[in-house]
Amino acid sequence: MEDDDRAKYLFLSLLQARVGSSLVSHLGTLAPEAVLRTPVAELVGRARISEKASRAFEELQRAFDPDRMQEGLAARGIEVLTPVDEAYPGPLRSIPDPPPALFVNGSVPDTVSVALVGSRKASATGIETARALGLALSERGVCVVSGLALGVDAAAHEGALEAGGLTVGVLGCGIDVVYPRRNRGLFESVRRHGALVSEYSLGEAPLAWRFPARNRIIAGLAGTVVVVEAPEHSGALITARHALDAGRDVWAVPGPPGVRECRGSNALLSDGAGVLWDIPEFVEAVARESSVPAVGGGSGDANPLPSGLEDTEAAVLSGVGFEPKGVDAVAKRTGIEMPEVLTALALLELKGFVSRDGLGSYVRRAVP
Amino acid sequence: MLGFWLMSVCRARSLSLFGIDALPVEVEVDVSSGLPGFSIVGLPDAAVQEARERVRVAISNSGYKFPTKKVIVNLAPANLRKEGPAFDLPIALGILAASGALAAGGLEGAGMVGELSLDGGLRGIKGALSMAEGARREGLARLLVPERDAPEAAAIGGVEVYGMRTLREAVEFLGDCAEVCPAEAAVEEGRPVEVGEDFADVAGQRYAKRALEVAAAGAHNVVMSGPPGSGKTMLARRMPGILPPLTMEERIEVTKVHSASGEGNGKLVTRRPFRAPHHTVSTSGLAGGGSNPRPGEVSLAHHGVLFLDELPEFSRTALEALRQPLEDGQVTISRVAATLTYPARVTLLCSMNPCPCGYAGDRRKVCRCTAGQIERYQGRISGPLLDRMDLFVDVPRLTLQELREERLAEESRLVRERVSGARGIQARRQGSPNSALSGRRLREVCALRGDAETLFSRAVDRMGLSGRGHDRVLRVARTVADLSGEEEIAAEHVAEALNYRRSHLVGR
Repeated sequence: MEDDDRAKYLFLSLLQARVGSSLVSHLGTLAPEAVLRTPVAELVGRARISEKASRAFEELQRAFDPDRMQEGLAARGIEVLTPVDEAYPGPLRSIPDPPPALFVNGSVPDTVSVALVGSRKASATGIETARALGLALSERGVCVVSGLALGVDAAAHEGALEAGGLTVGVLGCGIDVVYPRRNRGLFESVRRHGALVSEYSLGEAPLAWRFPARNRIIAGLAGTVVVVEAPEHSGALITARHALDAGRDVWAVPGPPGVRECRGSNALLSDGAGVLWDIPEFVEAVARESSVPAVGGGSGDANPLPSGLEDTEAAVLSGVGFEPKGVDAVAKRTGIEMPEVLTALALLELKGFVSRDGLGSYVRRAVP
Repeated sequence: MLGFWLMSVCRARSLSLFGIDALPVEVEVDVSSGLPGFSIVGLPDAAVQEARERVRVAISNSGYKFPTKKVIVNLAPANLRKEGPAFDLPIALGILAASGALAAGGLEGAGMVGELSLDGGLRGIKGALSMAEGARREGLARLLVPERDAPEAAAIGGVEVYGMRTLREAVEFLGDCAEVCPAEAAVEEGRPVEVGEDFADVAGQRYAKRALEVAAAGAHNVVMSGPPGSGKTMLARRMPGILPPLTMEERIEVTKVHSASGEGNGKLVTRRPFRAPHHTVSTSGLAGGGSNPRPGEVSLAHHGVLFLDELPEFSRTALEALRQPLEDGQVTISRVAATLTYPARVTLLCSMNPCPCGYAGDRRKVCRCTAGQIERYQGRISGPLLDRMDLFVDVPRLTLQELREERLAEESRLVRERVSGARGIQARRQGSPNSALSGRRLREVCALRGDAETLFSRAVDRMGLSGRGHDRVLRVARTVADLSGEEEIAAEHVAEALNYRRSHLVGR
């Protein structure tokens, strides 16, 4: 009986990878027998199934072999969790559209989890903030969930790994597919210090529509979702919407007004999301239920360079804003000669007061 | 009888361009009785073969008689491939000498090159300066060249160069019937900086200008990155103007290359070359080559600036071909028959957009590229080429408001003075610009002490500098110190140099 159920869910997960989730959630309520063996023609009468979907359905019914599939997964050390399994993550059961199966490489920790999401093309400040959040949460034993994409996602995972904490990466493709390729090393680290998770079976490609869908799992696995930096129409906002649908807390990091990269996250704030204006305060709020106590003050790496600033440095720092600024703009604003400005900026960067983004612009660091 | 036989073979000395050097070629002409005919042997190419028609007509139209005998011309050494029309003049003079129209002694001690037109006039040739150099090396006392090329050829000195307008003039001159004065060297008119190409004309962009100044001072290669319309090309065009003026030796080298490629104008080049090939340029167009080898853009930019606009759009193979010249300062073209080299000591200036659409990070226009696209775009340039680049500069777009507010910019002349000073220091210290420093020499010349050392090791840690990035910062810091005339590299020099490292647009 249980095996039959499990076979049904595996079947549905394969079907979902082809036709999306609306049909699948309807089928999930049916008995295994009905799903696995009823001729499609009959189902078409009961649900609205497109021609393409029914063809995929038939093909799958013919080829589906649950035993072989499970053996193959086991041989590769990959666990597959379905709602009939005890280990199926509890929080996921409560979301409106739970995945029929979850493919897991590693182990999903059973602790307080926070999802950190944001733009792939985040600013230096955004990246910095994501990393600092990942680190601070991880130090308190909170698991960091994110999507292993470039930008904010990668920085969040890295922050957590830096603190030696737990982290889960939810993918929009099979968990054996490394996408984006750049994150190859990060994939491996996340697997060792947490888990790679996906609702798609091995080898499924990173198709564009799969990413918004996987966002509901990111939101589902976490108790709290933080949008670090998101422009309008960002995928991170989809995650926030899923989080609200699933009854999760949504927080956002405030950004400067009018800045394109932060319009989405700022809009969330105006809609009533929690204001993440101070990292320790936030961590305290979410980690109350965590078993790891707060560390006494004075943690964090001591800044090896003297933190005092020379006059020129202080003057140049005053010319650097929270919005990225080119070197020319800084020089003009402060009226200091170019070579001196360049010198001061590099020193400020080394002392941790400013950081340089990928376009050579400087911005004040949110978290020195 | 024997005397007549000897008289019938005449020798005229000429030269053939090989790369940018000229090799001696002897033109032997034999006029003998037999079926009238005219043939040329000795590995001539098509243009040399066609000399038969030009020479025949030019001789008649100059008022001489083309011998109605069997004429055989041999170009020796026979194993060297001869190309181009520059043998017209020696062939014609040789024939006239062999047929008695010109005393054979007249050809003694003289070299001659020139293309004939049908009316007997002389047209300009390629590589006159190299020919004059070759003539001097061969110990020739006089060199006859077309009048257009005489001022260029005369620049070499050590050989008397005579500019000839027509075949007739040459015959009369060699036969001592006409008096011609040796040509004098002429240099290209004009100031080292063209009007309208001054740094002072570019408003703002002080960061980029400073970077170009540092680049000029140490002969470093630069990549400028910025959205379209930010002024990258405008800045690049002004780069030659801040380089020190060409020395006489450099002028001769530059002129040799330009003349050999057929781009010469008969005068000595005085301005530093600026070459900006389009990104569709072929591999041999950029690096040199072809079946009749020609110097490529990298050689035409010798001692000047090679500007590659839109770097990622260049074909990968073309860019790969630049690696060797950037390393060795010369291009080697190997053929089955021979290997020749063109000089190619350039300052490479590249520009690129930060992403395929060009607007990543721009304040007013939205970039529509995905992170992956940006990464691929930036990854299109091969690592080994990037390793040859010392400075990376971001050039943002300025608003009209910002442009209006800019105060007057410095003139190229002032920048050039500082650059010349720094180059002088480098020449005295290591005999080469700082960009050429590597290995042990680099560690000696760029040794860091005290604060500078502390700062640098902190930077290596915190900014994750690679081994190459490490050397790059040291070299640039050395140049910054040279610009301010300091013997030792101080912390502030290292700090400035750190600004010119490559920033990574995507991700962490």
